[in-house]
Amino acid sequence: MHISEGILSAPVLVTGVALTATAVGYSLKKMEHKEVPKVAILSSVFFVASLIHVPVGPSSVHLILNGIIGVLLGWSAFPAILVALALQGVLFQFGGITTLGVNTFNMALPAIICFYLLNRGIKGENNFIALTLAFICGFLAVLLSGVMVAAALIFTGEPFMQIAKLVLIAHLPIMIIEGILTAFCIGFLRKVRPEILNV
Amino acid sequence: MKNKLYLIPIFIFLIIIMINISAFAHKVNIFAYVEGGGIYTESYFSDGKKCIDSKIEVFDNQGNKLLEGLTDKEGMFSFKIPAENTISGGLKLVLTASMGHRAEYIIRADELISSTGLIEEKFAEPEESEEPISVVSPETPSINLKEIQSMIENTLDEKLKPIMREIKKSQEDKISPTEIIGGIGYIIGIFGIVAYFLSRKK
Repeated sequence: MHISEGILSAPVLVTGVALTATAVGYSLKKMEHKEVPKVAILSSVFFVASLIHVPVGPSSVHLILNGIIGVLLGWSAFPAILVALALQGVLFQFGGITTLGVNTFNMALPAIICFYLLNRGIKGENNFIALTLAFICGFLAVLLSGVMVAAALIFTGEPFMQIAKLVLIAHLPIMIIEGILTAFCIGFLRKVRPEILNV
Repeated sequence: MKNKLYLIPIFIFLIIIMINISAFAHKVNIFAYVEGGGIYTESYFSDGKKCIDSKIEVFDNQGNKLLEGLTDKEGMFSFKIPAENTISGGLKLVLTASMGHRAEYIIRADELISSTGLIEEKFAEPEESEEPISVVSPETPSINLKEIQSMIENTLDEKLKPIMREIKKSQEDKISPTEIIGGIGYIIGIFGIVAYFLSRKK
């Protein structure tokens, strides 16, 4: 999911940086004081999640967890993911500094989309619906991220069909795993601390 | 904050341990070495999985593409050392694996030149002009310098193989727990700064 340096063309990189900078600026303005510890913890979760690996087919994928981060943080997902990705880039050489903008946008935008689509249902009364939506949330966030990575690569000039196939096939297992993980976490949080879900 | 938030990461990790997925880095590596007249490359993801059917491009130091090829099932790709005039500045190998992964490996010129035979000729010519045959013992008159050198090279290649493998292993930068914990520390610190500025605003 992390696009390495030297792959994307300059316009794609610049667009990524501009979009990410705008979104991070907006969310920092919106962020409330008491929200900060939660953002920090979920940022660490994202930071560590990428170390957990699932070998699939010719590629190799890892957990992303942007679905649950989106549902729990809303707009604050942007700074959380930006910080985590920056540190992954510096410490582990995942992705890179020039691609930071694009990578952040690819993973944080789906998180926010999931937040707007599913947050209400996940907070809702009905337990079964909430868990189903949580599964969809984990699944959808990874799918959308995959689609955005594919879009970034296609704009740079890679053949469409090859990329599209890879995105779907390579990420199908991780989508399912993340769906289940997200459902577990949301189920747990609903029982233990339902107020976390109110963003 | 009296908060049970710390339970989230703990909970996630418990699940991860249960489904038994090994924790490793996410990155591709390429390693190359010169042997005989060829260059051998191995490509793998940092969890040790080989990159299959990944594209490897070879550039000279001017950035001109000399050749390209695909890795096989073992993640290997080998090719003959290109013509001498192109390798004087070394070679750059670029691996492009699926989904935006990319890695580079640079082979320095001296590694290449010593195995293409440039040195062989340099040595061979003056020696012959000085007629050193009389010094060589009569029992081995048929073995000339070139043969000796190629024998030495072959043996060396054999002997160096395990060392090469070790070097390759040590190049796989493993992620240490220190880095992970350090990273989490940084994150807490960065958000501490954010919290400071947010609190000043009020």
